[in-house]
Amino acid sequence: MRQRLSVPFTPSRVRSEIARACLRGSLSVLFGSLSVLLQPPASAATDSGGDAIQLELSPRICTLALNDKQCDTLVRATWKSAREESLCLVILDRQDVKRCWEKYTEGTYSIELIFTEDLVFQLKDLQLQQVLASEVLRVIREAIRYRHKRRQPWNIFD
Amino acid sequence: MVAKLLLGACIAGVMPAHSAAPQDDCKGPSEDCAAVGRWNFSVALGAGVRTNPLVNGEDIPLVVIPQVSYYGKRFFLNDLDVGWTLAENDTNQLNLVATPGYDRVYFYRTDLQNFFITGFSPSGQVDYTASPTVAENTPGAVKIPPRPRRITYLAGPEWTFKVGRISGQLDVLHEITGQNGGDEIRAALGIPLLESTGVLTANIGITWKSAAIVNYYYGDNTIYEGGAALDPFIKVGYTLPLAGKWRFNAFAEYERLGNAIANSPIVAEHSVATAFVGAVYTF
Repeated sequence: MRQRLSVPFTPSRVRSEIARACLRGSLSVLFGSLSVLLQPPASAATDSGGDAIQLELSPRICTLALNDKQCDTLVRATWKSAREESLCLVILDRQDVKRCWEKYTEGTYSIELIFTEDLVFQLKDLQLQQVLASEVLRVIREAIRYRHKRRQPWNIFD
Repeated sequence: MVAKLLLGACIAGVMPAHSAAPQDDCKGPSEDCAAVGRWNFSVALGAGVRTNPLVNGEDIPLVVIPQVSYYGKRFFLNDLDVGWTLAENDTNQLNLVATPGYDRVYFYRTDLQNFFITGFSPSGQVDYTASPTVAENTPGAVKIPPRPRRITYLAGPEWTFKVGRISGQLDVLHEITGQNGGDEIRAALGIPLLESTGVLTANIGITWKSAAIVNYYYGDNTIYEGGAALDPFIKVGYTLPLAGKWRFNAFAEYERLGNAIANSPIVAEHSVATAFVGAVYTF
């Protein structure tokens, strides 16, 4: 899954640029503004370009069968970036899991995990202040259906 | 024929409400509801006894009692009973069931039903005597030679219903294993007497056994031939949740044997009493 680092290049941002260009009333400015539109802003270019940090999980979903109480599986988290990064991989509400890299362009971390709810994996800066990328390992439970038990007055415990 | 008529009547009465489908009012595990597709195991540990009405019959100890059940969407298994739910709604359920013939438990300690009653009882696997009738030193006494009573299964429709807090059950069964071809009707009502932290419940009911069944177990070609028998029973039980998966359980049951059974020369008692006090652990 591709994660963007900075401000996203959204449709509202495009409309704002166009309005400003019209106000200037100058064809050249308009052309200039249009050229700006055609060339995404610097931060957005970073987002959509090769600098985005990619974080991938394997598996991405844990399916609990009817008789399963928890997921117990080996999870592999892999990240890649076009430039060197210094960051840490953490799991939300699981302070026991933390793996950091300094000036790496990619990294892989495998860990055996037991969990019953969704796990949120995050890549953060070394100070653990800013979230650089995030991915969720989802838990899907097979729907449990219930029905009436059969009563047996002749049974010893009914 | 009776079974067919009842099956038809039940289908006619229940089917219009709903076809077989899981109950809407069963949203989670409870005393009344079970998860579909999941095996349920429990074991009771305690002390109790079931009297044996046969002449020289040894009472049946109740010490370790395993229980197993499974509920599929329609199929179900309760210990040695298996069945198929044909139709159900919030208050009615129509099943086809197969259940073992009950009376064999008095003749054979090794009967499978005794596994679910006595479990791993310390008294071991001992066959009950089926031969003695009158003490051998009794002048003029006639000895009845032993003969086997094989495992039998009965099958037929079962209707369970609920009216307010009272639940009822009616089974019309026919022996299907080719041993006696008899019929049996079981009917009972379950009445909650007290519901707070613990639950006190009374069950009252009857078991009607055709002459074929009575004679298969208690008759003899030359000495005794009985007719049909009607056995009424009453049971009072109390269950109280304990810590974790444990719950306290105690019950007492009294069953009056019909005259056709009680008058048999191999039967010494006119009734069967059962009592148990212990704890149940659910896995």
